[in-house]
Amino acid sequence: MNRYFREISVTIALGLVLLAMAVLAPGFFQPQPLLSLVTREAPTLVVACGMVLVIISRQIDISVGSQFSVCSICAGLLAARGWPLMLVVPASVAVGALLGAGNGLLVAGLGLPSIVVTLATMVILRQGLNLVQQGAFVNLPDNVQWFGLSQAVGQWTLVAAALVLLVAFGLAMRRIAAGRWVYAVGADAEAARLAGIRPQLVTFLVFVLMGILAGLAATMNIVQSPQVQPMAGAGLELKVIAAVVVGGVAISGGGGNVWGAFAGLLLLACVSPALTHLHIEAYWEKAIQGAIILLAVVADGLRPRKN
Amino acid sequence: MKSPALPLCIVLGLLAAGLAPVHAADAKLVITMMPKAKGNAYFISCKAGADKAAKELGVELLFDGPTDSNAAKQNEIVENWITLGVDVITVAAENKEGISTALRKAQKQGIKVLTYDADALADARSFFVNQATPQGIAYGLLDEAARLMGGEGEFAIITATLTAGNQREWLKYMDTYLPQKYPKMKLVAVRPSDDLKDKAQSEATALMSANPNLKLLMAICTPGTPGAAEAVKQAGKTGKVNVIGLGLPNENKRYVHEGVTESVMLWNTEDLGYLTVYAAAALAKDELKAGATSFKAGKLGAFEIKGDNILLGKPYIFNRANIDRFDF
Repeated sequence: MNRYFREISVTIALGLVLLAMAVLAPGFFQPQPLLSLVTREAPTLVVACGMVLVIISRQIDISVGSQFSVCSICAGLLAARGWPLMLVVPASVAVGALLGAGNGLLVAGLGLPSIVVTLATMVILRQGLNLVQQGAFVNLPDNVQWFGLSQAVGQWTLVAAALVLLVAFGLAMRRIAAGRWVYAVGADAEAARLAGIRPQLVTFLVFVLMGILAGLAATMNIVQSPQVQPMAGAGLELKVIAAVVVGGVAISGGGGNVWGAFAGLLLLACVSPALTHLHIEAYWEKAIQGAIILLAVVADGLRPRKN
Repeated sequence: MKSPALPLCIVLGLLAAGLAPVHAADAKLVITMMPKAKGNAYFISCKAGADKAAKELGVELLFDGPTDSNAAKQNEIVENWITLGVDVITVAAENKEGISTALRKAQKQGIKVLTYDADALADARSFFVNQATPQGIAYGLLDEAARLMGGEGEFAIITATLTAGNQREWLKYMDTYLPQKYPKMKLVAVRPSDDLKDKAQSEATALMSANPNLKLLMAICTPGTPGAAEAVKQAGKTGKVNVIGLGLPNENKRYVHEGVTESVMLWNTEDLGYLTVYAAAALAKDELKAGATSFKAGKLGAFEIKGDNILLGKPYIFNRANIDRFDF
């Protein structure tokens, strides 16, 4: 019970919000708008899964928003040239892997602090993209949106894909040795090394995986509309890190899981549409999201320590 | 044996021709036009109008600018034009302060200076060709909304960020204009999109489900317009909820043709280029002087001048009938 304290408390908070909405504004639960909103969060969930790993391994990656943008535009330009999605998705994933490997080499290889490295790559990628793209949208061919299928099928496919990925990560991180290595490296890199784990390699691979997921998420985003905005993904890093922290992943590394991040993401994503339904001014949105993050951190501080 | 003198003469002659002030070659006025970025479709559209005006007036138009939006490069180009001895320099300033020193230097050499699209400091140019006043945008959008809504019902606004300067000013004008002019129209919410199309889409989705009587979504930042349109389309509310907003034609053509978005507003960029060149020519001929209150620009007729701003006037409405004529 105590072990999953955060996951349970965030889920309860989410339940309370949904219950309140059911009483105060039942219109919130109309199926079609809700499905549209949930589908919009599917790519965010995929990126959040990667961020969980990054933060558990005691690193951070604030360049994910920029990686997402670069992958979106690369994928968009390839799709616009007539590449089928079967090739666009792996290409976008490959670009993401490359960007992640760049971060990984600098952080794991040279031992540089990840917050500085990824701050730099965030700015470089963003400005590079602005320079090349000049803010212009990429218009996609008609068969890209919803994979050329109907809207409902497309939306359910994306939601299902994100959930499958979530479950896969949730299981793999506990049951597979590589998953446990990430915890070990984040908890104590030296102890992990003595136990025969190679912390640098694990860190490097975590960043590569982060890039891969950013690339995948980018394609899950571009299939949702007929055009790609180069700004897409700006601010994504904050959204994802907030979800992960609210979900109980320790920013000091070594603890947490994707389930908590999932609940955290849903809770934070609820705020904006809930306020719209309650006809409360938008000024409160960021304040409430901030309060949720603060509450989560304070709860951590008040929790009795094991030792 | 051929004399080496002949080719040498030609070379020297060419050099001399190249070095001589441009307007000495013939009496044509030389007007320059600098965009923020040369390859930007928006400015290419400005140039189309400018070319038209230059042809009508019989002036020479030099169009040059940075390949990317680069303030330092803009200064270099102004310096080159000063050396070249052109008659008028017109600039869309990337950086207000940055460009002004170079423009003042041009003025000291007797070159007239105009700004268009984005202003420099007031003492560094004679006039600013102002494409849109805050009041013009606010009133234009509300008038168009009222026309589509029949003057009554609920509508919602999607803005950039809640603190964005331009948007706040437009909203302020709307706040006073709406109850006076359209008392039966009700603004139910103003939601931020953070200039992201995707967030605008989510906001629009929530707005429609929270306000079942909503008749119109108005986006007052350019990414908001296609974002709101995609939300309406996904909600299956095409024709029930209208979309209007500020925007670029190319980002909205699809939705305009599908009947999701009724009208997209911006200014007519061709007219902006046309007016700028006419004003530049008049300035050079001393026909346009400080204190003037109106100005006639060829086929487009008279434009109001407020202080040192030449006003392009009401925003231009792109709709199904005309949007394909614009490529930016």
